[in-house]
Amino acid sequence: MDRAFQRTQILTNHLLQFSPPSPLSSNACLSYSPPELSESYAFDVKEMRKLIDGHNVEERDWLFGLMRQSKLFNPEEKGGKVFVSPDYNQSTEQQREMTWKRIEHLLERGAFKGWLTEEGEEIEMRKFAGFEVSSIYDHSLFTKLGVHFFLWGGAIKFLGTKHHHEKWLRDTENYSIKGCFAMTELGHGSNVRGVETVTTYDSNTGEFVINTPCETAQKYWIGGAANHATHTVVFSQLHINGTNQGVHAFIVQIRDADGNICPNVRIADCGHKIGLNGVDNGRIWFDNVRVPRENLLNSVADVSPDGKYLSSIENPDQRFAAFMAPLTVGRVNIACSSVYQSKVALAISVRYALTRRAFSLKPNEPEVLLLDYPSHQRRLIPLIAKTYAMSFAANYLKMLYVKRTPQSNKIIHIVSSSFKATFTWTNMQILQECREACGGQGLKTENRVGHLKGEYDVQSTFEGDNNILMQQVSKALFAEYMAAQKRNKAFKGLGLEHMNKPCPIIPSQLTSSTLRSSQFLMDALCLRERDLLNRFVADVSKCKSEGESTQQAFLMCYQLAEDLGRAFSDRAIFQTFIEAEATLPAGSLKDVLGTLRSLYALICLEDASYVRYGYLSVENGASVRREITKICSELRPHALALVTSFGIPDAFLSPIAFNWIEANSWSSV
Amino acid sequence: MASSVSSQQDKVLVEANSFARIITLNRPKQLNALSFQMISRLLELFLAYEEDPNVKLIILKGKGRAFSVGGDVATLVRDMRADDWRVGANFFSQVFKLIYLIATYSKPQVSILNGIVMGGGAGISVHGRFRVATENTSFAMPEAALGLFPDVAASYFLSRFPGFLGEYVGLTGSRLDGAEMLACGLATHFVPSAKLPLLEAALCDVDSSDPVIISSIIDQYSKQPSLKELSVYNRRLDVIDRCFSQRTVEEIISALEREDVHQSDSWISATIQTLKKSSPTSLKIFLRSIREGRLQGVGQCLVREYRMVSHVMQGELSKDFFEGCRATLLDKDKNPNWEPSKLELIDDARVDCYFCKVKHEEWEDLKLPNRSQFELPPYAIAKL
Repeated sequence: MDRAFQRTQILTNHLLQFSPPSPLSSNACLSYSPPELSESYAFDVKEMRKLIDGHNVEERDWLFGLMRQSKLFNPEEKGGKVFVSPDYNQSTEQQREMTWKRIEHLLERGAFKGWLTEEGEEIEMRKFAGFEVSSIYDHSLFTKLGVHFFLWGGAIKFLGTKHHHEKWLRDTENYSIKGCFAMTELGHGSNVRGVETVTTYDSNTGEFVINTPCETAQKYWIGGAANHATHTVVFSQLHINGTNQGVHAFIVQIRDADGNICPNVRIADCGHKIGLNGVDNGRIWFDNVRVPRENLLNSVADVSPDGKYLSSIENPDQRFAAFMAPLTVGRVNIACSSVYQSKVALAISVRYALTRRAFSLKPNEPEVLLLDYPSHQRRLIPLIAKTYAMSFAANYLKMLYVKRTPQSNKIIHIVSSSFKATFTWTNMQILQECREACGGQGLKTENRVGHLKGEYDVQSTFEGDNNILMQQVSKALFAEYMAAQKRNKAFKGLGLEHMNKPCPIIPSQLTSSTLRSSQFLMDALCLRERDLLNRFVADVSKCKSEGESTQQAFLMCYQLAEDLGRAFSDRAIFQTFIEAEATLPAGSLKDVLGTLRSLYALICLEDASYVRYGYLSVENGASVRREITKICSELRPHALALVTSFGIPDAFLSPIAFNWIEANSWSSV
Repeated sequence: MASSVSSQQDKVLVEANSFARIITLNRPKQLNALSFQMISRLLELFLAYEEDPNVKLIILKGKGRAFSVGGDVATLVRDMRADDWRVGANFFSQVFKLIYLIATYSKPQVSILNGIVMGGGAGISVHGRFRVATENTSFAMPEAALGLFPDVAASYFLSRFPGFLGEYVGLTGSRLDGAEMLACGLATHFVPSAKLPLLEAALCDVDSSDPVIISSIIDQYSKQPSLKELSVYNRRLDVIDRCFSQRTVEEIISALEREDVHQSDSWISATIQTLKKSSPTSLKIFLRSIREGRLQGVGQCLVREYRMVSHVMQGELSKDFFEGCRATLLDKDKNPNWEPSKLELIDDARVDCYFCKVKHEEWEDLKLPNRSQFELPPYAIAKL
């Protein structure tokens, strides 16, 4: 009966349209209020952006402006603001053509000037900035540029010699030719040394003959190959007089000036993908394609006109490592760009959480802002801290790369591998959390966060599978350990110097101030790295003493290897955060960064390994969690300022970051 | 400046007509140049009208052949010579606060731009909801030739022009007519001047603040003007896009020079000449300003421009503003000696300085009025 009464009551209300009890009662409809009206900035967001962008801020804004002002970048008005984003509802072919037109547009306006023809730190940093900005617009744009400039262009630069540079670099920079990079095969991805493409030398004609002997040797996922590329670098086994000299790189023209596929080359499409459909990934087969002898990229090894193999590097392992050089810069670039996707997603979901309400605590009270729920803070704010940490680490990595020396190559390889894996994994985690934090709105392509998952998923496997990269990190740390032990010398480099000091001790009682001190946090991160390295070495040695080969021993100790890789990465990232913080004078900027720094490290301390190996007691673990929630609520008032400092222009965010009511109103249908 | 209060009040006339308030800038001999007192009066009026439930609509117009040529710079420079640079900074702070109020105003403002609109004149009109152009309208932002730079949140509205037209208009000070203003979104309507009295009368009958209703009234008197055959909007957008999208002023000029080689064209060489005659410092800081403005809100633009203009007034980085005013407004020899004299002499670090806080104990960043107490309609934050 109660139900019936209630129902009648509701119907009466509908019919009678009660006037509000008092003229002061609020309008029943929700209205949008920009977060800027209620939130204030306690620090200079422009200074913060400068610090985390790290370099070429104006260059970035110029590029953003070029895209924002062009019809080719698909500007659309939603809720009174213009947003630029590709039309992902276009067919694959249309998306590919648009990506290419956008590249042409940027090219005509000098966006790539000097990218291959100039040398030095300044241009390299500018290039990184350009890539980061392009990635904020669209991953296909970023990837197509990356393949052309870093992979194809990088191969010419690093693997070629003077005559290759003279012949190809300028033409590449101005896109007279379009390059691609044929390394991966259907049967071989990360294991490049196993590729099955075979090249022989014909001394009668002075030509190399490149062949795809079986289906698994077809080149696969070659970005640019399906539609646009005119040239490629082919990675192939080089057989000279019956001896396999290992993997070498050759230039092959695959399309003529009219865009037709060259004789003895077959190309097919890789088809529709879960993302990156603006990139024309293709498959290539070579049917005894002949190229002149000069097309061998010969910085590492050469073949004389009469067919003798010559190499300055005797050791085939080292020779192979030299061939992999162009991939390092690609990894740096991927790592850095992934951080910007986290920034886009967080800026959108935090702005949404500052304007969207759900549920009232008491009847007739206004509903609560999403970000005022402690649980919502706990979901998003630690991710902001991670993103700040990754920004500083990315800047460190870029500097490490541009200031490279022959001695630092090993360090760059290890750091770039570990950061690439960590950043891209973290990015996927952040995208998923942000998409859920936006609820159903996160599903709309126009709101970006959800869509970015499909677009950026590939980062965890291309240019080195993350799991394999992390194994390489642990192996490298193992080698450092063995070298230090064998020569009875102190650890030097890779931030491992803490291994030389006495083992840090975690206090049994953790106060709030201890939990926030960078000394304690660094101790806790070093302790884990140190212990895991010791354990890893001990376990590997034990396996070996039981008769396993070194390789087999590594494989069997994979669990420790994974934990160790993460421990190294977390500690190395934290180090860069502390260094960035140290450059600042006392003030509001430093204060908020200090809090973020503590939050970042405390999140690392929540990793299962801390309890698994007993670095933290159960009680300590509880203190860590408590402190995290406290910091989240302290950072809540800074949330808008922190994401505004990411410096992503409004047009590159999405409708739910702004007036989403207006954007979804009937009048905008 | 010993003018009585009443004569100052005469410079801004107010007429109440049921729910509309007609504000007329009344300094026709000076082409309605805006004095400090006029700005303060406007600020007072706008604040009062926002609170007044009997006001639903504001009409802003100018007496004589100009809407307004902008801030009264000649007087300002004289006053600053007598006193000090903070007089100048204070003037701009007042102007910028008025502009911010207009840009976030909760009631519709119809500006009738029947004549010259420059600098500050644009500032107090284009940020309002409706801008009515006529066949007499002539818009320009000529500050770079004066050693200043397009301010009044020009970095906001010029950067919203299609392509890189905003860079062109701001760097060269080129004029736009009514049809061009409509095409690039600076004007919302074009009404032949003969119909203005009828339009005004119709607007005075409105008893609503609903922008849809007001827009439809203006629509009744509007027509679609055609662009002149030689209009840059018709013929030059491609070249402007190619050249003015370049990274730096130097690159813009060399891009224009390359175009000039391809196709000899008096418009291109005139454009190059104009750029070469303007203050190199002004060009560089404006380019940086519009590039930043493209990505910012109107409030952020004003805060940044206030830093810039304070540096210009202070004159420690460059005295081009005083030199420009001397050569154009006071001595009128039209031959300013810019210092630094060449673009190459101004590096990024020097440009950076204009975007930093002014180091002076009494100076502080522009404090924009808090507008959150008003239920701002969706169109209030950004209109262009």
